[in-house]
Amino acid sequence: MSDPVVGNGTDALDETLGRLSKKPGVKATLVLDRSSGAILKTSGQVSSIRKAKQLGSPLPAQPGASFAADPAAGASGQDQGAEELASMVWNFIATAGSLVQELDTEDEVKLLRLRTKKQELVIVPDAKYLLIVVHDTPPA
Amino acid sequence: MQQRRDEILAKKAKLAELKRQREIRTQATASRQSIGVTSDLISPTPGRTDRREIEAIINSVLGESRPVSVSTGANSPARRGSRPNSVLSAGELSNETSEYATPANGHVVPSPQPPQILSTVTLSTVYECPPSPIKEVFSYSKGVQTTEEWTTPSRPRAFSESDNDEPITPKSSKRLSRRERDREEELRENIRKEIEEELRAAKELVTDGVLKPSAAANFPARTLNSEELRAVTQSDDFMDFIDRSTKVIEKALDQEYDILTDYTLQVHDIDDDDEQHGNTGGKGRRKVKELAQFYDERWSKKRMISSINFSPKFPELLLASYTKNPTAPHDPDGIVQVWNTHLHDRPEFVFHAQSDILTAKFSPFHPNLIVGGAYSGQVLLWDTRARSAPVQKTPLTGSGHTHPVYCVDIVGTQNANNIISCSTDGAVCGWSVDMLAQPQESLTLQAPIPAKNEDLSPTCMAFPTADPTFFLVGSEEGTIFPCHRYDRAGAKAGVDQRVNYKGHAAPVMSVHFHPSHGHVDLGDLVLSSSLDWSVKLWKVRAPAATSTVGPGLSAVGGEATVTPILDFVREDVVYDAAWSPVKPGVFSLVDGAGWLELWDITVETEEPLARISPSARKDGRTMLSKSLNRVAWEPAEGKRLATGGIDGALTMFEVGPDLGGKEGLKNEDWITVRKLVSRAEAGENGLGVF
Repeated sequence: MSDPVVGNGTDALDETLGRLSKKPGVKATLVLDRSSGAILKTSGQVSSIRKAKQLGSPLPAQPGASFAADPAAGASGQDQGAEELASMVWNFIATAGSLVQELDTEDEVKLLRLRTKKQELVIVPDAKYLLIVVHDTPPA
Repeated sequence: MQQRRDEILAKKAKLAELKRQREIRTQATASRQSIGVTSDLISPTPGRTDRREIEAIINSVLGESRPVSVSTGANSPARRGSRPNSVLSAGELSNETSEYATPANGHVVPSPQPPQILSTVTLSTVYECPPSPIKEVFSYSKGVQTTEEWTTPSRPRAFSESDNDEPITPKSSKRLSRRERDREEELRENIRKEIEEELRAAKELVTDGVLKPSAAANFPARTLNSEELRAVTQSDDFMDFIDRSTKVIEKALDQEYDILTDYTLQVHDIDDDDEQHGNTGGKGRRKVKELAQFYDERWSKKRMISSINFSPKFPELLLASYTKNPTAPHDPDGIVQVWNTHLHDRPEFVFHAQSDILTAKFSPFHPNLIVGGAYSGQVLLWDTRARSAPVQKTPLTGSGHTHPVYCVDIVGTQNANNIISCSTDGAVCGWSVDMLAQPQESLTLQAPIPAKNEDLSPTCMAFPTADPTFFLVGSEEGTIFPCHRYDRAGAKAGVDQRVNYKGHAAPVMSVHFHPSHGHVDLGDLVLSSSLDWSVKLWKVRAPAATSTVGPGLSAVGGEATVTPILDFVREDVVYDAAWSPVKPGVFSLVDGAGWLELWDITVETEEPLARISPSARKDGRTMLSKSLNRVAWEPAEGKRLATGGIDGALTMFEVGPDLGGKEGLKNEDWITVRKLVSRAEAGENGLGVF
């Protein structure tokens, strides 16, 4: 509840997100802007999520990855990882959204749980923002 | 006339030729345009061309004989205009020869008939088919671009050209149209290229859009970016979003069952958490197991739980009201947290008040509303659809309560219900849910005449399920008084002077009517708990029949005193006792030592069937933190119950099938309870011992 009495809003925000990322198994959280894909908040080990692609091989479909190869960005591997993840997720959401739109134009995506062998991405798309949480799935 | 007949004959000859030519041409065009153009687009086309050509021919034929048909002369200039088709020319045609009136379907039957009669009937078909004038102003939009769509606009353009050029002979027009088609193809190709380019550009834009922040995140744009970030992350929208979405995700993560579990793959040692694991009490079918503990670092800290209530609508929601946190003077004093059993670490909702909340309850008639009573004497109403501040509260004036409100209830029916509140000075108020500015009714409870002083300070209140005008209040001195909301035969509104229930020697902490869902009515059984270390079972006189002094009543100065029929003596102060909502003989109690006890009076009246203490919180205080204030059952299934107390943690338990749940319910249970009660009554009256 973001109420004036709560005090500093940013604190409450950080606390909420912090608690989320402290939950057992949670590896990273990421908040994006829905329209632009800009990263608003990150926490956790975002860069560790992409294992195979870490060797400087940007996705073919993303010419923008070359930006991250600028000398300035060399130090921020974390940022780069986050951006790559962000753009992948963003594209994924856009595709999912268009699928839903084509099924029923009045429909929209509410929740995406993408389960893989190693982890799970839980994505909550909203009108303006996206929240992505990556967490380990229990061994099964 | 002769001239006219000649004309008609000549026309017929021409027509026959035309028909032949058209057939040839349609074959040719069909073969030519077969690729990429749908048939429904093709079909009207030849018809229209034909018509135009026919018109041209007819006009050339009839050139000399103009004076005969006036309408032709009048209309022909209009036909020559840029508009390619239809209205005028069709009208003209039909004026001259009726057989042209159906050119669109391609089968012209040449028969010389009086022309004017048939013309109007067939007109409409011609009129309806041409879509071209509208299509001509067609403009491109990326959204609706398809191959079928964008062939059409070029088509009418071509026709209008041909129309203007020289629509003289079918041969020339055929050649023309071929040329035009080539051009069309060319145009089409160009457009296709353009669109592809556009699409490509759009796609690039999109990917740019994603990656722009990556560029912006680099050093040059750093400061601006962080400012923007702050602006965004501090917006209410964003807060709202985070609040909602994290709740969803936490629920998703808290979901314990893994739907992807493949039982064929490997055998994991699934903990058989029947006996050893977790916090359990009781054995076998009388087991009590701790399910979850709800505690929020931010809001539960250093507060006491003053009441607990399950949502009547959503079995997974329960609320707890809290007193103030003395170490946080800037936080609201009183809060109500609504917890979700699927969300352990944070409340679903938090509601605030400026004073300690002493009691809170979901409205049984509206799942979104929560009423509460505050230490300040206010009655508050929150709405789960609104923010955390109360949507309504009573004013702090003399018309309402000026003393702490320890009990509120909502009584009545779906369409006519009232909030009833009771404060420690004996004031009872009835409020409309829609308007808390002023009480609808108010009543002051006073102790019956022979009392030492007439002050009565209620500590708890209970309504029977059947009657919203009658209620019991437990008082600080230990007596339980029956009260009426309204005047009725033989009794004034307020405390019923004729009966009281004496038995407790210390303040009564709770009174609870039996929910009685069976076929035997047990609604007159009341359970009370008190600081005198006991829980007592009472049989309440029907409110109307109180005037007759029956057996078991000792009349003292015109006042009947009822004694309890069963007495459960405990080892500590008992703060709360509550009947199970489903099992007729089962009740639970919580005491000052931190025990939750489960009893079944049909089985045992001396010892609890099971007892359990909530697991202590790791960082909690060890001294004097165990006491439990409240216990509440989940009303629908009766399998879960929740307790809370001094340490602010709300603990939820699940009971075994003997103590809760609807399975194995027998009608005999109700009869057993009824028999037990009458036996106890008889024993108490006859022998004076029990």
